[in-house]
Amino acid sequence: MSTPGLVEHYFRHEYGRLVAVLARRAGLHHLEAVEDAVQAALLSALTAWVANGIPHNPDGWLFRVAHNHLLGALRKDHGHRQLLAGAPDQGADGGEEPAPPAFAGEVRDELLRMLFVCCDEQIPPESRLVLALKTLCGFSTEEIAFRLFTTEANVYKRLARARERLRQRDVDTQTPPLESLRSRLSSVHAVIYLLFNEGYLSTHAEHAIRAELCEEAIRLCTLLVTHPVGAAPPTFALLALMHLHAARLASRQDATGGLLLLEEQDRSLWDAEHLQQGATWLARAAHGDVFTRFHAEAGIAAEHCFAPSFADTRWNEIAELYAMLERIDPSPIHTLNRAVAVAQAQGPQAGLAALDGLVPPAWLDGHYLWDAVLADLHSRAGNAGAAERHREQALAAAPSAAVRQLLHRRLTRPAR
Amino acid sequence: MSRRNYLVLFRNQPTGGQPSPSPEQMQQMFAAYSAWKEKFKTAILDMGDKLKSEGRVVTASGVADGPFVEAKEVVGGYMIVSAESYDGAVEVVRACPAVHAPGASLEIREMTGARM
Repeated sequence: MSTPGLVEHYFRHEYGRLVAVLARRAGLHHLEAVEDAVQAALLSALTAWVANGIPHNPDGWLFRVAHNHLLGALRKDHGHRQLLAGAPDQGADGGEEPAPPAFAGEVRDELLRMLFVCCDEQIPPESRLVLALKTLCGFSTEEIAFRLFTTEANVYKRLARARERLRQRDVDTQTPPLESLRSRLSSVHAVIYLLFNEGYLSTHAEHAIRAELCEEAIRLCTLLVTHPVGAAPPTFALLALMHLHAARLASRQDATGGLLLLEEQDRSLWDAEHLQQGATWLARAAHGDVFTRFHAEAGIAAEHCFAPSFADTRWNEIAELYAMLERIDPSPIHTLNRAVAVAQAQGPQAGLAALDGLVPPAWLDGHYLWDAVLADLHSRAGNAGAAERHREQALAAAPSAAVRQLLHRRLTRPAR
Repeated sequence: MSRRNYLVLFRNQPTGGQPSPSPEQMQQMFAAYSAWKEKFKTAILDMGDKLKSEGRVVTASGVADGPFVEAKEVVGGYMIVSAESYDGAVEVVRACPAVHAPGASLEIREMTGARM
């Protein structure tokens, strides 16, 4: 990574750490003031550090400056100074040093607490993701809009809704102990999963930007597995699933940025460290009495990652896993994927049979994936007319040039 | 209040960091998952008593909500305790010497009493 990239990374993550720690001390109803203070501190650092060099303890420097900004803002407002009394030895008079978090564990816990706060069931789901991206990942509203393919006004609206809900909370439930937030764990999983998918599945943005969202999701999930509140097989499965997908992220594009089919991907490009992490967490996820959708999806990713070659992929196992996924979370997309796996294992007729009787809902009918799969299966089954009809519909519905090119290559070559 | 049955699982704590697995070890890890997955393929469930999804974790330093599930930990043994509440069961278990063994934790789960 380039130096500017590292710097940007450091500042974004430092933003998340400072907001989490200070919001805990000041209370969530001051979240906006906290974010403003942290923003101001980071801006001061940019000028001060360029002029005077990086201080001996940059984290402590930032904490002190952000704390003072916040203190000033709150004092101006209500004289809410006592709210910041995070350390027991803090005197009553002003001017003393605030106590920065003493242990790395405290920062981790505050970040996790903020993650659980973002996943409050009272906050609408689409606002949870935006709040997490803003407060924990340190993205600006402009950057969030860019990454989620929506307008800045929309991001702002979602943020405002989330903050409004947080303000409505009683003061004493605003900073609850982590353990009491355990019931939100599945909501936390959902937000991390959504964050990852925004990065992984997006067909619009360039690779680097997508990878960044995936990294953030893995970072948050890694925090989660290190704390008893999140250390459970579904979390391990979610982390395994993300590592196994991330392992293949770089090989999904060719040198010109075009998308590559799985069978075209260079397996030597798969990321060894992500594979190791994925395997480790997958093994740890394989415990207990609950098989979640993350277990099924991690299993499917693992079948691909650990197959010796495309030809030696265990398509029957993959079809079984999709069937299990369908039972946990019925969706025509899962049926469609199962049909692809069945066709690989047992031939195109069996694949078409798996789709027999499935009436696609409106959002899928007219989606390029639906037509692309049908075009491929019909073509391989020798139904030239149906294949051509679906091929045209798939090409017309392709959401981006990269996908259209991929479809063109995939659907125009001779049937196997 | 009526007495209920609680299953107490004796666990050992996980042992620190993990070295990076070799390709063979990764295949073994994947195989472990594949084997575990099998039991969910069919509708046949364990014939024993079902556990509720909540619990308590007792260590020498305190009591926390559970279950505390760590894949590396080993269930070393179990016992069934009869008590009126989770708190009652915690009290019984706290008296047990196994709680104070270094690195040990015990998980308590209420049994539903319904045979599958």
